[in-house]
Amino acid sequence: MTNIVHARSLQKSYGSFQALKNVDLDIPEGSICGLIGPNGAGKTTTLKALIGLCDVEGDLLVAGRDPRVDRHKLMEDVCFIADVGILPKWLKVSQVIDYVDGVHPKFHREKALQLLSTTSIPSNKRIKELSKGMVTQLHLALVMSIDVSLLVLDEPTLGLDIIYRKEFYDRLLNDFYDGNRTIIISTHQVEEIETLLSHLVFINAGTIVLNAAMTDLEDSFTEVIVSPELRSAADALHPIHERELLGKKSYTFEGVPRAELKQFGELFTPSVADLFVAKLKDANHG
Amino acid sequence: MKNIFLKNRYTLLLTVLAVYVLVLVIEGAITGREAKVVKFDNPFFDLNLNNFEEFMDNRD
Amino acid sequence: MDKFALNQFLTLLKREVLEHRNLFVLAPAFLALLLLFAAFWISKQFPRDQLASGVAYLAMLFDGLSPVDMAPVFMIGAIPFVFLLYTCAFVYLMNSLYQDRRDLSVLFWQSMPVSNLKTVLSKVVTIAAVAPFFYIAVLFGVYLIAMIWLTLLGIQFDIEIVGIGYMFLAAVVSLVFVYLSAIVTALWLFPSVGWLLLFSAFAKRTPFMWAAGVFILVGFLEDFLFGSQYLANWVESRANPNQYVIFSFGDLVDRLFNYDMLFGIFVGAILIAGAVLMRRFTD
Repeated sequence: MTNIVHARSLQKSYGSFQALKNVDLDIPEGSICGLIGPNGAGKTTTLKALIGLCDVEGDLLVAGRDPRVDRHKLMEDVCFIADVGILPKWLKVSQVIDYVDGVHPKFHREKALQLLSTTSIPSNKRIKELSKGMVTQLHLALVMSIDVSLLVLDEPTLGLDIIYRKEFYDRLLNDFYDGNRTIIISTHQVEEIETLLSHLVFINAGTIVLNAAMTDLEDSFTEVIVSPELRSAADALHPIHERELLGKKSYTFEGVPRAELKQFGELFTPSVADLFVAKLKDANHG
Repeated sequence: MKNIFLKNRYTLLLTVLAVYVLVLVIEGAITGREAKVVKFDNPFFDLNLNNFEEFMDNRD
Repeated sequence: MDKFALNQFLTLLKREVLEHRNLFVLAPAFLALLLLFAAFWISKQFPRDQLASGVAYLAMLFDGLSPVDMAPVFMIGAIPFVFLLYTCAFVYLMNSLYQDRRDLSVLFWQSMPVSNLKTVLSKVVTIAAVAPFFYIAVLFGVYLIAMIWLTLLGIQFDIEIVGIGYMFLAAVVSLVFVYLSAIVTALWLFPSVGWLLLFSAFAKRTPFMWAAGVFILVGFLEDFLFGSQYLANWVESRANPNQYVIFSFGDLVDRLFNYDMLFGIFVGAILIAGAVLMRRFTD
């Protein structure tokens, strides 16, 4: 399995603030990878670095190219959607289609028009006159009409109604994803995408806290509700996180074989959201 | 080398400005440049509409 | 250049015009309307037969004269448009690589497979060749309206109007010279174009303050470090307005193939290269 993203020791500072601290990242081709982190963690910086919109130090190869040097060549194979506000507001819908048609060698105009015909977006309106949801629909329609091998999405559904959000992910999975294409998506609305993901990356304060395939999570992470008398035994196994769950205590373990944990009670794999909180708290405690 | 002058926008600006000034200074030193207006010979610079007819006759 | 690359560049130029239609189309159109209105109002101050005899005089004067030789006379009519063009050009260049970073649309533009070099070159070509074309087109409209009005006046007073046709042809040829002058000016001021683009790409805020401030600073530094004033010399050399206008095709050759022009293009290219590299710092 080749990696479509290969990053080593990425660093980025804004003045005295270090947005990325020695980030190593490999993302396999054909995966749907979630980049999860709190605000200010470095998600946007990482994603912008992948497409050459942010200059970073370190080794970085995306689809075999260095985005800092070959951005325009890379953009023939990669598309980017940021949280809605980036389509130029003064352009008309028809003009933005003409523009992409004129500059992108892999754009299929007929497909874009066909996709747009299923929406209620009028082609002679300016983008500033469209609702947020329509702008995302438009941008997605454009992106889906391009033969890209990688799609980078930075909080694409931020601020959208649930109907637009659901439709967005529907289209993404059913019409765009074909097993060969890669999707990297950042969000802090973890619950919405956890069922889509094949790969998970947690980032916090500029550092990668977790990088794993979803199928491996079950092997590495276990959550168990521990009754009071067994708690000291459970503590001895160094759980990464504890939380109250309906009056009982739930422990999360990393790297501890399930055979050892069976004694404490029923085992289950933590949800991505719970795992995220667990890893974050673990990282904070050092 | 590239990592130094392409490190950030400020280092790049300084590099470009340094090259720019050096080129100007070296050229000026070599050619002995002084402030002068390059003279382009053209009769219309002397055109005065009151003497238009006279001007027309002179041209022919 | 292959067909796709050419088409891509034309798409970039089209974007510039659409994005700045206020500067390139509406501004000259508004000026044209203003001037036509002023001309119309002025003409109303004179009795029509006096106007007619003026028209008759002009028609007689221009009858039979070569439009190419007479064209320079009509370039005077372009003066207000030229001032407007260069004001708009300054605003355009200062904003060209700055505005899209401010409103974040740069994230869209840079997600397209268009190199930084092509992006910056499209701005240069727009201001040097495309914007002047729109100004010329508007001015053509003005001259056409003027010609029609003079012809109607001539017919009304039974004046020999062939000369008006000669005037119009000379006016049209003057537009060609104005257009070529605009291109020559852009090349002659290539270092200034490069300077504005560089700071448009560099500044996070107030690009004009950076462009102006650093320019003054560089002038002082040159004197301080090298004891020379070559930058000031160049500015002074370029300050004479006579250099910017061409009145004949022979002038064009003189302007383009002289050392000062070619050196200016070389220096401008250094600054433009800086703007292209600066474009990678979009944050």
